[in-house]
Amino acid sequence: MALPLYGFMEGDTIGLLIVADEQESVRSLAAKLRDAASLRVDGSSHLEVVYRGLVLDPDSTLAQADFKPLQRFDLRMNHGLSESRCSR
Amino acid sequence: MLNREDWLPLARKLDWEFSYSTEQDVFPEIISGSPWLPHAIWKDWEEAFKTSYREYVQNQHEKDMAVYAVRDAVGRLENVQALATPWINGLKIHAAALPLAEFTGTIGNLRGARFGRDSAWRAMACFGALDEFRHTQIPLLLMHELVRWNAQFDWAHKFYHTNNWFAIAARHFFDELTLGQNAIEFHIATNVILETGFTNLQFVGLASLAHEAGDHLFEKMVTSIQTDEARHAQIGHPVLAMVMKHDPDYAQYLIDKWFWRNWHLFSILTGVSMDYMTANDQRSGSFKEFMEEWIVDQFFRTLDEFGLKKPWYWDIFLEELEIYHHMIYASAYTYRSTLWFDFVMPSPSDRKWLRQKYPKHWDDMDAVWERIGERWKAAGPGADKESATLGTAMPTFCDLCQLPLSAGTPRNNTANALAYDGRDYIFCSQPCRWIFLGEPQRYASHKGLVKRVLSGEAPADFNTLLTSYFSLTPDTWGKDVYAGAYHWLQREGAPAP
Repeated sequence: MALPLYGFMEGDTIGLLIVADEQESVRSLAAKLRDAASLRVDGSSHLEVVYRGLVLDPDSTLAQADFKPLQRFDLRMNHGLSESRCSR
Repeated sequence: MLNREDWLPLARKLDWEFSYSTEQDVFPEIISGSPWLPHAIWKDWEEAFKTSYREYVQNQHEKDMAVYAVRDAVGRLENVQALATPWINGLKIHAAALPLAEFTGTIGNLRGARFGRDSAWRAMACFGALDEFRHTQIPLLLMHELVRWNAQFDWAHKFYHTNNWFAIAARHFFDELTLGQNAIEFHIATNVILETGFTNLQFVGLASLAHEAGDHLFEKMVTSIQTDEARHAQIGHPVLAMVMKHDPDYAQYLIDKWFWRNWHLFSILTGVSMDYMTANDQRSGSFKEFMEEWIVDQFFRTLDEFGLKKPWYWDIFLEELEIYHHMIYASAYTYRSTLWFDFVMPSPSDRKWLRQKYPKHWDDMDAVWERIGERWKAAGPGADKESATLGTAMPTFCDLCQLPLSAGTPRNNTANALAYDGRDYIFCSQPCRWIFLGEPQRYASHKGLVKRVLSGEAPADFNTLLTSYFSLTPDTWGKDVYAGAYHWLQREGAPAP
C-alpha cells in the first residue's frame, strides 16, 4: 500500500511529500527524502530516520515500523546523541 | 440651511426602534457578530473622524488628483523599466495580491454598513467600502500599463482565480477575514489587526523602501491608500472596546487568532519584499526592525491600552520573526516555477547584511544558500539550466494557513500532525493548530493542495500541476532573475557572464 508521508530533513527549510510503499525499507525512505532535499541540504553525513520520537532500524520495513499515512517523519544527521533505536 | 455641526450628528445617529421586527431579527448574531448586545448599549458608539459624505468625496477627489499627478510625472512604462529588476518582481507580488484582496474589504465593510450595531458605525463602514473599492482600482489602474509589457504582470490579474498554492492560501485568509465574516469579527480582525498593525507596516514601511528604490509611483500609491486606512481603521477600535467590556476572553481570542493569521501572510508579502526584493543599499531597515517598531512596540502598546495581553504564543512569534520569511524565501526560490514572479539569490553582501540583521539562525540559512549556489556553479548559468536548482518533490502545506510547512528552523521544523474526527491534518506551528481547534467546524472540510493531489482532484505530475492547475506557462512561471549568472558564483576559469 502506498504511504504518503510528510518528510522533514534536518537543515532543510520545507517539509516534502514522500510517497513510499509500506514494504519499503526505512533506509529506502531515507534515501528518497535525502535526494528530494539535496538541492538545499548536504545529506552526505550519516542520517537516521526518526518517527514518533524513535530512531528506526534502517533495515525494517515501513509496515514493521508502523508507519501510517500523512504522518511526519524526520531525517536527522547523527550527532552522536543516543536515542532509543526501535524496529517495532 | 443647517450648519454642519447641526445636521451631521443627527444624520450620523439615525437609529430607531423597530415596530414590525425584533432587533435580533434585524441584526442576527450570526452576521452582526458576538457578543450580541441591544442597541441601547451600542448607542454611544463613536469614532474620531465624523466625516460627512460631502467632505469624503472632496477629500478623495483631491487624493486621486495627487495620485494621477504622480502617475503623469513618473508612471510611464520606462520609469518602471528603469527600476531594479528584483524590485520590479516585488511589484508583481503586489499586483497579484493587492487589488482583489482590497475588493474583499469592500464586501466586509458593506456587511458592517448593514449589520454594524450603530448608525454611526454603519455610516463609517460605507466610507470604508468606498475606500476599499478605491484601493482595488488604484493598483489596477497604475499597473495596467505593465500588463502589455510583461506576461507575469498580466498573469497577476488572474492570481485569485487560479489554484496556485499561494492563491489558495490568500483566498483561505481573505475568505475568512472579509468575505464570510460577521461584522464584529470583521472590524476587529481587519481594522484593528490588519490595518492598524500590518498594513501600516506594509504601506508606511514599504513606502519608505519604495522611495529609496526610486519607485515614486508605488510610494504614492501606498501612502495614498494608507490615508484611507488610517481613517476607516478607526471603526474597529470602539468595536473592540465594546467587546472587551462585555466579553474580554473573546476579545483576546480574536486578537490572538487574527494576529497570527496576519503575521504569516504579511511576513511573506512584506518580509520578502523588504529583505530580498529591495537592493540592500536601498534598505532603510530590515523587516524585523520594521516589525519591532510598528508591531512589537507601537501596535502592542495600542492593544495594552485596551487591556489586552500579548498573544499566548508571543515567544513563538518572536522566534519566527528571526527566521520564518527566510525559510519561506529559500523554499520558494527552489520552487520558483510554482509562482508568477522571478527570484534573486542573495549575494555575499546580501548574506552579510542578513547575518547582521538576523544573527540567531543565519548560519543555518547560509548553508542552504551555499548549497543552492553550488548547484548553480555545477550547472553553469543559463535559462536552460534553471532545472538544476529547482525542487521536484511535492512541497507540503499547513492545513490552517495553507502556507508551506516552513515554520520553526532548519534544525527543528515545528510542523505537527493531528488526527481529528477521522481525518489527518498537519499544521506548520502550534498557533495554527490552536486556531484550527478553536473553530474546527470552520476549517476541517477545507482541502489543501496535498490532499487535492492525493485525491486526484489536482494532478500529481509536477509539470502538469504547474500548467493545468496553477495556470502557469513557461512565460509566466518564476525564474531566477539572472538565470544564475551571478559574477560571485562563477567557477574558476569560467568566462564572466
